[in-house]
Amino acid sequence: MAYSEKVIDHYENPRNVGSFSKEDPQIATGMVGAPACGDVMKLQLKITEEGIIEDAKFKTYGCGSAIASSSLVTEWVKGKSIDEASGIKNTDIAEELALPPVKIHCSILAEDAIKAAIEDYRTKHGE
Amino acid sequence: MVNVNYFEIFGLEEKFSLELNTLTERYQTIQKSVHPDRFAHASNQEKLLAAKKSTLINDAYQTLKNPLSRAEYMLELRHVSLPNEQASFSDNAFLMRQMELREMLAEVKFADNVESAVFEASQVLEVEFEQHFKAMQVALIDNTEASNKQASELLRKLKFYQKLHVELDRLEDLLFDD
Repeated sequence: MAYSEKVIDHYENPRNVGSFSKEDPQIATGMVGAPACGDVMKLQLKITEEGIIEDAKFKTYGCGSAIASSSLVTEWVKGKSIDEASGIKNTDIAEELALPPVKIHCSILAEDAIKAAIEDYRTKHGE
Repeated sequence: MVNVNYFEIFGLEEKFSLELNTLTERYQTIQKSVHPDRFAHASNQEKLLAAKKSTLINDAYQTLKNPLSRAEYMLELRHVSLPNEQASFSDNAFLMRQMELREMLAEVKFADNVESAVFEASQVLEVEFEQHFKAMQVALIDNTEASNKQASELLRKLKFYQKLHVELDRLEDLLFDD
């Protein structure tokens, strides 16, 4: 199966790979996994007091599409408010990366990672 | 031939633990009976039926041979609704551990003694796989609504370990096959 150029670009030069300290109260962590392929994805957001996503990092163990999806998401969420970020849909990700139908679940995983991170933020901040 | 029970095909009890040798022997016997050579002079319809049966027997064998697909099949027979394969999994503690295990595998190639690092990693994976596997086995034997649900959760987790095994095999090929 051929990957799109954008997938290859993100795969070869992933943006924002890494981790923030989980102890930092500004950091929200979202962990998700896909049993079908065994992919594991961690997305961390650095969120200001005003609820703006200042920075994002990811670590993904999975196929090229899963890595590209999470890499793209870290670029997209930066500068967005939590509400704006939670509006990102897997279909947007899949479209941007031209993912084939069999790889749609990678974009779903990335969307779920954003949701999980935001949920973690809300839990931490008692919202 | 719709809705045939895979266990019945091979004359086996519908139990999770089965004798692999018995399964394989019976599979081979039945497969011979539908071999195309035996139908060389048969009508087209008979040939077609034999071919269909052969496919079915093969599916049944492959499903029962692998313990994880066997467990999945048993849960299907019990009408346990398995979570969508594509749906994300969000057991945080479990996923954190998966991340650690992936990191452990990624570190192996930097170890002073790569061979022993690979061995240690395989031991760690083995132990954790077995823990989940045994728990799933017990839950499948219990066969209550709650235990079946538990078995399906454990099965999802075991699939992550199956993936880790694949990764470890790949790593070994990479490191030791010159």
